[in-house]
Amino acid sequence: MSKETPPLVTVNHFRMDFGKKTVIKDLSFDIRKGETFGLLGSNGSGKTTTIRALLGIYQPTGGELLIDGAPYTVDGSVRLGYLPEERGLYKKENVIDIMTYFGQLKGMKRSEAKEWSLNFLKRVDLGNEASTRLDKLSGGMQQKIQVGIAVMDNPQLLILDEPAKGFDPVNRRLLMDIIEEHQEQGTTVIFVTHQMEEVERLCDRILLLKDGARRLYGTVDEVKDEFGGQVLEIVSDQQVPTNEKLYTIERREGRTTMLTPKAEMLALQRFLLSSGVTYSRFELKRPSLDDIFVDVYGPSAKEEN
Amino acid sequence: MHNLGTVVRFEIVRTLKKKSFWIAALAVPVIAGMVGLIIFFSNKTTDDQTKNLANEQYSLGITDESHLISDQLMGVVKAQKIGNKAEGEAAVKLGKLDAYFYYPGNVSKETVQVYGKDVGFFKNSRYQDLADQLLKQSAASKTDPNLRAILQGTTSYSATTFTSDGQIDKGLLKLIAPGIFLVLFYFMIATFGNQILTSITEEKENRVIEMILATIKPTTLLVGKLLSLILLAFIQMFTILIPIVIGYFVFKNQLSLPNLDLASIPIDPLAVSISAVIFLLSFVMFAGILMTIGAAMPTAKEAGGFMGATFALLFGPLYAAPLFFTSPESPVVQFLSYFPLTAPIPLLLRNAIGNLSLLEAGIASAILLIVTVIVVRIGVRIFRFGALEYSRKLSIKEVIGRKA
Repeated sequence: MSKETPPLVTVNHFRMDFGKKTVIKDLSFDIRKGETFGLLGSNGSGKTTTIRALLGIYQPTGGELLIDGAPYTVDGSVRLGYLPEERGLYKKENVIDIMTYFGQLKGMKRSEAKEWSLNFLKRVDLGNEASTRLDKLSGGMQQKIQVGIAVMDNPQLLILDEPAKGFDPVNRRLLMDIIEEHQEQGTTVIFVTHQMEEVERLCDRILLLKDGARRLYGTVDEVKDEFGGQVLEIVSDQQVPTNEKLYTIERREGRTTMLTPKAEMLALQRFLLSSGVTYSRFELKRPSLDDIFVDVYGPSAKEEN
Repeated sequence: MHNLGTVVRFEIVRTLKKKSFWIAALAVPVIAGMVGLIIFFSNKTTDDQTKNLANEQYSLGITDESHLISDQLMGVVKAQKIGNKAEGEAAVKLGKLDAYFYYPGNVSKETVQVYGKDVGFFKNSRYQDLADQLLKQSAASKTDPNLRAILQGTTSYSATTFTSDGQIDKGLLKLIAPGIFLVLFYFMIATFGNQILTSITEEKENRVIEMILATIKPTTLLVGKLLSLILLAFIQMFTILIPIVIGYFVFKNQLSLPNLDLASIPIDPLAVSISAVIFLLSFVMFAGILMTIGAAMPTAKEAGGFMGATFALLFGPLYAAPLFFTSPESPVVQFLSYFPLTAPIPLLLRNAIGNLSLLEAGIASAILLIVTVIVVRIGVRIFRFGALEYSRKLSIKEVIGRKA
C-alpha cells in the first residue's frame, strides 16, 4: 500500500465532547483504500466513539470524519460492513430471516441475500441451522452469523470492532481467513482489537489512541521505530541491577528483564558479569506491539482487555 | 425513507409468525363463541323445559283451592285431583305419588306447597319448576292477550322525534359511526401500547441497534415500526371481527340476536371525518409518546412504569364521562378536551354525542398535530442518543445538550 494511494477514510481535527467531558481531542488520521488499519487503545481511550462518529451514529463536536470524501450516510455510495463491539441480533427469529433482512437493508435483493446467506452458513459449518431460532444457537455460532452479516454485500469498507471476542481458536482462525479474503479483494478494513498478534499479522498501519488523543500512528515498523527502536531481553536467575548510565529497565517479568540500552552491548555485558549476573539469553530485538501496548497503557490495561 | 418497505415487511411477518399474536387475536371471537354457546344451550334448556311439561314421567297429584289451574294443562301432565293437602302429602310419603302440589285459595298471600320424592339435589327442583309453569301458563290462558302482553313486558314501542329542521332524529343510532373511532382507538392503544414499547426497546435489549443504525436511518426504523404496528392492529381487528360477523349471520336465529340493519345507521360525513382525524392524530401522538419512552429507557420493563402513567392520563377522563353528556361547557370538560394527554377520549366521545363544535374540533386537532410533530421529533432525537445507552436511562438534559 503506497503513500500515494488515496484515502478512503479521512479524520481531521475530530473532537468529541459528552457534556463537559472531552472524550476525543483533536484527532487526525487517514486510512488508505485497500489497507488494513488497526485502531488500538485501552478501554475508554475513544476507539468506539471514533468509529460511531465516523458512521454518523454520533455527531462530532468538532472537526470532520469523511468516508470517500463525504460524511457517511446510510444511503451513500460506499458499501459498509460493520461489526460493533456491543453486538447482538434478533433472538426470536430464524437465522436465515435475520440474515436476509440485513442483506435487504444493505441493498441486496431478497433472493440474492438469501442465497448468499445460505452459502455463508455452509462455509462456517452452520448449513443445518438456517431455520433455527437464533437464541437456540451457542454464543460462538451467533458470533459467526454476526460476522456474516458484517461481510455481506462485499463491503468496500469493513469495520470490525473486537471481531474475535468470544471465538475459540478454531473459529478465530476461520474469522482471520474471512478477513484475509476480503483484504485480497481490496476491501479496506478497520480493525479494532487488543490482540496484538492479529494486528502484526493483518494490519498495514496502526493508530494507538490514549485518553482520546493520538499516541502512535504509522506502519507497524514506523510505530516500533517511533516508540524507541530496540530493546534488550535478558533472561537470568539473578536480578539485573539498575544502572542509569548504561540502560533503563523497562520491566521485569519473572526471570526476564527488558532494558532500553544506552551504551554499547559489550559495556553492558561487562557490567552484568562484574555484577555477578549470569544469563541464559541476551538478545537485542525490536519491541513487539504487545510490549509497546503495555508500555503505553501500563500492564493493567492489558489485563483489563 | 429508503428501506422503509423492508422494515415494515420484516416487522409484520415476524409478528404474524408469533403464536401470541394469534392467541390474542382469536381469544376474543373464541370467548364470544363460548358465551354464544352458553346462551344457546341455556335458551334451548328453557325451551325444552316448557316443551317437556307434557313429557314429565312422574305421577302427580294436585289440590287447587285457587281454581286457577287449567284442567287442560292438568290433563297434559296427567295430574290427578286430590281432595286435601294432608291426603296428598301422605300419598307422597307412602310412595303412592311421586309429587303433590297444593295451590292455596289466595296465591298472592299464601304459599304454594310442593311435595315430592327425593330424586337428587339437582333434579328435585323439577317439582317446583313444574308447579310454577302450571300456575303461570294457567293464569296466562285465562287472561286477555293485550293484558298478558303488558304484564309480560312484551309490548313493542316505536318512538320518532324530529329535529328543528323537521328531519327525523336518528337518536342513539347517530352515535355509532363516529363512535366506532373511539372503540377503535381504545382497542389499538390497549392492544398495541405494550407492543410499541417492546418493539422500540427490542433492538437495544438485543444489542442489534448499532448494526441497524449503520445500515438505515433511525427515522426509517421508527416510522417502519409505527406503520407495521398500525397495519398489525388492523389485521388483528379484522381477525377478531370476521369470525364474530360470520358467527352473527350463521347463529343469529339460534341465539335470538337482534337484527342489524346497517342501512338504518345514519352517517354524518362531517362527524365521521372529525372522528377520523382525531383518531389518527391521537394514535400517532400516543404511539410517538410510547416510542419516546421506549427510546429513553434501557429495557421494556423499565419503560412499563412510564407507560402506566401515560395510560392513566389517557383513560382517566372516562371517569368524567357523564359530564361530557351533560356539561360540555364546564371547565373540567374543556380542560380535558384541550390538554393533549387527556384529549383523545373526550374529543372522540363528545364528537360522537354531537356536542363538539367545529371550532373546538379544529383547535383541538391543531393542538394534537403540533404536539404529535414535537413528540415524534423528540422521539427520533432521543432514539438516536438513547439507542446506544444499554444500561441507563437518558436524561432530558443530555438530549437537549447534545449536538443534533
